[in-house]
Amino acid sequence: MKKNKSGLVMLGIVVVLYAVLFFFNADKTLTALKESLGVLKMIIPILVLVLILTALLNTFIDEKSISRHLGDESGLKGWLLALIGGILSHGPGYVWYPMLQNLRERGAKDGLIGAFIYARAVKIPWIPLMIAYFGWTFIVVYTVYVVLGAWVQGVLLGKYMNCNRKKGS
Amino acid sequence: MLQKLKSALKNAAKTLYVISPMLLAVIGLVGLFKTFVTPQMLHTLFNGSALHDMLMGVGFGGVSVGQPFLSYIIGGELLDEGASFYGVTAFILAFVTLGVVQLPMEFSIFGFRFALVRNLLSLVFAFLLSVTITATLRLFA
Repeated sequence: MKKNKSGLVMLGIVVVLYAVLFFFNADKTLTALKESLGVLKMIIPILVLVLILTALLNTFIDEKSISRHLGDESGLKGWLLALIGGILSHGPGYVWYPMLQNLRERGAKDGLIGAFIYARAVKIPWIPLMIAYFGWTFIVVYTVYVVLGAWVQGVLLGKYMNCNRKKGS
Repeated sequence: MLQKLKSALKNAAKTLYVISPMLLAVIGLVGLFKTFVTPQMLHTLFNGSALHDMLMGVGFGGVSVGQPFLSYIIGGELLDEGASFYGVTAFILAFVTLGVVQLPMEFSIFGFRFALVRNLLSLVFAFLLSVTITATLRLFA
């Protein structure tokens, strides 16, 4: 991963935004800050988990097995791994991005990364809440279509990225 | 092996350090959205016609941030208020799979082209899946 200045620029913009909003509506801005701190507290454990997972993946899984399980030769098993991984992954998506990029740099297919990210729209822990609001039929139909959609989207994304790589080289 | 694990952990920590400004920025924006964009504001924007609700659903789902369960609660309330399944499904899908706020972060980690194409595909799929899911539900109803 490149060292990026864009992060610092973004952070600067957000800080300025807070300062300006504080000027107009101090109470609400402080509430927003509190909300942000709450989110930070919530994601820190997940973030630590993901980083440890990344480190373990880097130590015990070499490029060869990545390319076998997630690379060009991975086939159906790769898709299943990506879809199940996406469904089971916890917390906000951006927490997983560094790990996914790491796998990608070490040979995982682009399409599988895309499928993982899309499959995150299925959230097993929240299914009871969804049933309460939308009913059983909706959950079943929704889950089936999201998984299918994640797969199709992964295939399309992979095809597009491959095409461009060939053109570029 | 231990040596390898140590250096891998060090690398992971370095990754965290590199992404931390962007992470903090995104989290700061999340707080602002949660405070300044209320569920009531979202409520007033859905009127029950399929295309209108889908556009609204994708639009607001895409810019909203927060825990996914928020989208289920808001979606459920919207449905009670007479919004269509088209709009509600689009909202739930866009809420999780599209992230306008975290887009800069996605760009900087995955590279511009991958992130752009992934988000465009997710945009199209939010519409596609909303239509197919609602149509399938109609078959069962």
